[in-house]
Amino acid sequence: MFQYIIKRLMQSLLTLLLLSFVCYFVLTLMPGDPVDMMAAGNPNITSEDMQRLKSLYGLDQPAYKRYLNWMGTLLSGDLGFSRTYKIPVSDILGPRILNTFYLSVFALVLSLLVAVPLGVYAAVHKGKLTDYLLNLFAFAGISIPSFWLALILILMFAVKAGLLPAGGTYSVGQDLEGFALVWDRIKYLILPVLSLSFMQIGTFERYTRGAMLEILNSDYIRTARSKGLEEKKVLFKHAFRNALIPLITVVAISFSYIFSGAIITETVFAYQGVGKSVYDSIKSNDFNVAMVSFMISMIMVFMMSLLADIFYAVVDPRIKY
Amino acid sequence: MNSDSYFQMILKEFKKHKMAVFGVFAIIFFALLAFSAPLITHLTNVSPNDQNVFNRYLPMFSKAAINNNDAEMRLEKYLKANPDVVKDIQTFQAKHPDYIWDEEVEEWPYDFLYFYSSIDEFKTTAKNSPLDGVQELVDLEKSFYRFHILGTDELGRDVLMRLIYGARISLGVGLFVAFISAFIGYLVGIISGYLSGTLIDTLLMRFTDSLLALPQLPLLIVFAAIDITKLPLLEDLVSKDSESFVKMIIVLSLFSWMTVARLIRGSILSVKEQEYITAAKAVGSSHLRTIFQHITPNIMGPLLVAVTLNIGNSILWEAALSFLGLGIQPPTPSWGNMLFNATEIIYESPSLAILPGIFIFITVISFNFFGDGIQQALDPKS
Repeated sequence: MFQYIIKRLMQSLLTLLLLSFVCYFVLTLMPGDPVDMMAAGNPNITSEDMQRLKSLYGLDQPAYKRYLNWMGTLLSGDLGFSRTYKIPVSDILGPRILNTFYLSVFALVLSLLVAVPLGVYAAVHKGKLTDYLLNLFAFAGISIPSFWLALILILMFAVKAGLLPAGGTYSVGQDLEGFALVWDRIKYLILPVLSLSFMQIGTFERYTRGAMLEILNSDYIRTARSKGLEEKKVLFKHAFRNALIPLITVVAISFSYIFSGAIITETVFAYQGVGKSVYDSIKSNDFNVAMVSFMISMIMVFMMSLLADIFYAVVDPRIKY
Repeated sequence: MNSDSYFQMILKEFKKHKMAVFGVFAIIFFALLAFSAPLITHLTNVSPNDQNVFNRYLPMFSKAAINNNDAEMRLEKYLKANPDVVKDIQTFQAKHPDYIWDEEVEEWPYDFLYFYSSIDEFKTTAKNSPLDGVQELVDLEKSFYRFHILGTDELGRDVLMRLIYGARISLGVGLFVAFISAFIGYLVGIISGYLSGTLIDTLLMRFTDSLLALPQLPLLIVFAAIDITKLPLLEDLVSKDSESFVKMIIVLSLFSWMTVARLIRGSILSVKEQEYITAAKAVGSSHLRTIFQHITPNIMGPLLVAVTLNIGNSILWEAALSFLGLGIQPPTPSWGNMLFNATEIIYESPSLAILPGIFIFITVISFNFFGDGIQQALDPKS
């Protein structure tokens, strides 16, 4: 087990290194470097000045050299400065990691709480009208554009009903404490969490139903039934617990989807998280922030799926790493 | 005896899936819409890019005057081409000095035509001219107004027309990406599956798996931010208008072939050990012949399902990227970038934010149902 974790961590690290280089290289293909942008706003700048500035910042060097430089400073603990905000990257991203963590964990928990019971119910009532309707609902969840759902939620709950804030992370300029603070944060989280979980509900519901159906057809369920066990016990003690195992894999895969969704959700709701900073920094050509937030998002996804795999081994004693 | 052919059997099974049949019809409808978009523009005289700042944010079912300059140009062109009508108007004015065009009250050129075409005395005079001037004036006056079934957007453009043209982009991106990624996935899957157990297979599958494990959107955003004209090969191939369209197809194809590759590899592994493949090999069928003649026809079903589901997914990703402002660039309309513009004015004009989303939703769900229908029809167990 321990060996497996080490191996996985090494693999993730290697992928991360490779990805960081690809990403760095791709970002150099973005239109305009900072000196070009500076020059665009200053008609007095000469081409000699530009050349000097470029060599001062190392922008005249090939991409791989710049990458090595950047990696060196990163490893020494310096994340660099944000071009847009003129403050260290760590100051920007620190609180944002926590915000994104809240958003994705709440969305995951909510979607599991809704989807698993629905999936079990659909499997038990296979072929009935409710099963059919739940299937439609799951398809709607998979097919709905999450950003559009977010807009509709804003329209319904923020614009028309005026119940919840349309966007933001917390109320600005209020010194809230204790329960009031928690409630304030929750108010800003409800709509993003709802829009983020809807797609996952569809996916999880379909997988739960599939896993349940497969297990309900298996031999040991027939045995359990034929020895006269009451249906409730068959369902929850024998079938449901085993159906949870394949679901863990799906949850592990879903982290990357949830993170992708978080970028969109955070952008629509102006929620200050890592996803929004990935988007904002790439749009405003803020190189250091873009690279670091991209790396953080990858690390988060890798860690989560590693956790899920470890959990998998804990739940299913047949699995040995 | 059941005399149905294999295809008829599949079709029969497929028809049982009501939502899949609905999906097929919806897809055909959108495809027709996309295909006939230029024809619709030609017939209705409404183009998706006609702007008119005076007609911004019109509600659904509203009639609005077209751009003043356009109307004036049309009227002048008409009068120049028909001097008889001008003469008619002049004689009429000479005879009836009380019907004089009042610049202070009337709005040129809309009311001008209304003014003359509605006066009975003028009609009688006009009858003398060889041209049926009055009817033509009425027609011309009508052409000064546009009927916007779904209203107009922030630049006064017709929303319905933009949605119709958006269908071209969405379906185009979806189809291209699905077929390109099916091709890449097919190649990777077939190489990996046929050479299963070798180093090449391990490397290819490691690569596929690690791409699958990555969150797609951050990668897509990074790649979509590239200026593809900076890449040496594409610089000459891509024109400025189609740049974002081509970029979308390339970027999305890069990250959507993995599921196809896995699926093809799996199918090949199961097909490879079948007796008919062993038989084919025994009679001396070459590797390529075995792959294309014997294996490929037997994995068409799962491939078709994967392609269908990929179309829906690609449409969703394209919409998401365009919504973030990184996909299809305006003025080319796409359902995603229409939503991007709508977010800023969601309070004033909610229908702009609702309509494109409904189009995306119906298209994507249709492809998903369609894929599900084929899957169930092909599955002998169901």
